[in-house]
Amino acid sequence: MTNNFALFGAKPIFDNPLSLGQFYFPSLERYEAAFQGIFERQYYNNNGPLLNELENKLQEFLGVKHAICVSNATLGMMMVADAMELYGKVVIPAINFVSTAQLLSWLGLKPVFCDIDLNTFQMDINQIDELIDKDVSAIIAANLWGGACNEKLISEFAESKRVQLCFDSAHAFGCRVNNLPIGNFGVAEVFSFNAKNILSAAEGGCICTNDDNIAARLKSIRPSYGVANTVSIVRVANARMSEAQAAIALMNLDDFSENQKQNQCLYQIYETNISTIPGLNIVKPSGVSFSNKQYVICIVDEALFGLSRDLLIEILKAENISIPSDFYALPYPSQTYDQELSRQMNSLPNTKSFFSTYIELPIGALVSTESVERICDLLNRVHQSSAEIYKRLEK
Amino acid sequence: MIKKIKVDDLAIFNGSCLFAIPKSTSNLLQPDFDKFMGYSKLFFDQNHNISDGYLVKLLEQRLAAFHQTDYCVTFCSGFWALAITMSALALKDKTEIVMPSLTYRRMPDIAAWTKLTPRFCEVESTTLAMSAATVRSCINDNTALILGVHPIVNCCDINGLLDLAKEKNIPLLFDSVESVYESTADGKVGSFGIAEAFSLHACKLLNGFGGGYITTNDASLAKQLVMMRGFGFIENANTEIVAGMSAELNEMHAAMALASLDDVEKQIERNRERYYTYKDLLSTVQGIQLVEFDERYCVGYKNIVAELLDDWPLSREDTISILNAENILVRSYYSPPLHSKSMLFPFVPAELPLTDSLAERFINFPCGHLVSNTDIADIVETLAFISINANIICERLHKNKVVQG
Repeated sequence: MTNNFALFGAKPIFDNPLSLGQFYFPSLERYEAAFQGIFERQYYNNNGPLLNELENKLQEFLGVKHAICVSNATLGMMMVADAMELYGKVVIPAINFVSTAQLLSWLGLKPVFCDIDLNTFQMDINQIDELIDKDVSAIIAANLWGGACNEKLISEFAESKRVQLCFDSAHAFGCRVNNLPIGNFGVAEVFSFNAKNILSAAEGGCICTNDDNIAARLKSIRPSYGVANTVSIVRVANARMSEAQAAIALMNLDDFSENQKQNQCLYQIYETNISTIPGLNIVKPSGVSFSNKQYVICIVDEALFGLSRDLLIEILKAENISIPSDFYALPYPSQTYDQELSRQMNSLPNTKSFFSTYIELPIGALVSTESVERICDLLNRVHQSSAEIYKRLEK
Repeated sequence: MIKKIKVDDLAIFNGSCLFAIPKSTSNLLQPDFDKFMGYSKLFFDQNHNISDGYLVKLLEQRLAAFHQTDYCVTFCSGFWALAITMSALALKDKTEIVMPSLTYRRMPDIAAWTKLTPRFCEVESTTLAMSAATVRSCINDNTALILGVHPIVNCCDINGLLDLAKEKNIPLLFDSVESVYESTADGKVGSFGIAEAFSLHACKLLNGFGGGYITTNDASLAKQLVMMRGFGFIENANTEIVAGMSAELNEMHAAMALASLDDVEKQIERNRERYYTYKDLLSTVQGIQLVEFDERYCVGYKNIVAELLDDWPLSREDTISILNAENILVRSYYSPPLHSKSMLFPFVPAELPLTDSLAERFINFPCGHLVSNTDIADIVETLAFISINANIICERLHKNKVVQG
């Protein structure tokens, strides 16, 4: 039976690598019409009409006072940190994209990694307390996996400790907590409009805030053409979103509901099928009343599944299913944070456990229901043949 | 055009505006739409998804060939191309970056992101550019990097700076944002120093909506920059090895830049025509002198800069206000100079009297895709009109200011 697997020479179940990421993108016809408009207006960048339209629509969609679009989410978070005048140390979840730690380095700030809760796979509120000292100026919490961390508890905690709080909501566009859209919490929240996320501008990001002063500072830092600078800032970041990016984001915002439904449908197939495979458990989006369902994260229990996570990854890769995600980078060897991480890793047992047991499965525009069924069938076959695979690999 | 017959016709005195659509100093090149769509279709038709960088790679190959360099690395902006490259090149444990004061107003902000302290150098009055002589006095034991910046028209003393950098063993990065098409006796701009930085902003010679790029012949630097712009990941491995950032160019911007690059030779012809129209017409107006391109080698003819001479009858501030009111969006040339601005990050205070004086004398004139030769004739005619009527204009402006005050 093992001869049926690409790892042992069979034809992969997918001819081309199936990428991880959402990759929703308008049709060529809509793209052409949108860009025809840009060419007719001859307005390409510097807070153009499409950018203004996008920001207005995002404010309405999210029910937030200010939506400030930027060229990418990392620059957006750097701007937020500058606008909030962060200093010293900043607490961030140990599970997140490496950019959060990197951007703190650019700002001369030191990351302090917080462990996760193994029930929700979000930042663990109970762990933060011991990380706070007089040098900590803020917490950058993250809303992961189409779910959310416990905003209420973290907000109360931050207030009691008098540290500032903002959110990395890169993967949480469209999600709601108790029916209130993510984007309304903390001093500010940053969404990523990278193509891998549900609302794509091909590349881009958006900072949301209900704080007028922070908004004014952010607009000056971006900077914003034609907007009078009324507040003092340290430096600009040159992070404007172009009309091209705004055009794509506007079309994808129109399609949000449809795209979320496609995610929901694919997610449902994964959930139904994987629930029957021993040793595989889907991480359900926690803490939200509505999820964008842009991630399928699965925990591999080696004892029950029959194979380790790393072996499963090798099998999936051979079948042209691109795994793992490069989005959760802290487990990887990191020259920049090696010393800090190895020092802190001992106090991050849950993070350590997660990194050795999770896989991410494809979901989004490039994934059909049939593809998901084939992936689930493959996972089932791998489990059924796990003993045989293990033996063959041992030889 | 609405002719100015009497002073009351000037828009600043509530007359009709000369141009309904503003004429600016931004290039705003519009490449051929079909070419733009042709490139865009490559990521639609050939299964290149929007984030796999197919067009970015194509653009980098084309730009490297254009500048006759081994490598080109694109970025989301010229600003971050400079910041990341500064960060990569600055000598370890040194903190100062030498740059001219008479340059891009955001340059100190770029240095601030890299934790480098700007030390501002003087320029030469003949070129408006830094030279080996003006940089030499700024070099000290703490110099981490020299930023060789070309002025808006023509190039700085490239060889002088190269010799100085070599003598002092300090890395030299050129800011060549305004010199994309320029050549020298020693070759095209793009291959000098360790690296050169360019912009793909819509206001520059090559319109890529926004973006920037670095050219270099240094393989290891090119590799390092590719990693740094993409979160420090080594290609095809989930390993983060250098202080990374998110600064990649997107495919739509690459498509636009490619279409702009296809048009570059024709654009230079159009720019040359505009430049010669300005040159011919400005020569008839007393007190204003065009900064001429050095046409011994290839030049882009993009930017139009003129000096207000001592016999120009109005202050530069008044001249700019009058023209701006007509929707002639002239701008003062790099004014105020950087060393005189307040900064909330470390910088080395400097006294640069020549820069101070030059920063009061020059004006950038409208140029680029949206400015026709007829527009230029109208602009120069307006200049001549305000020159002839300077006394009465001055009187009314001052009177108005007193009344308003």
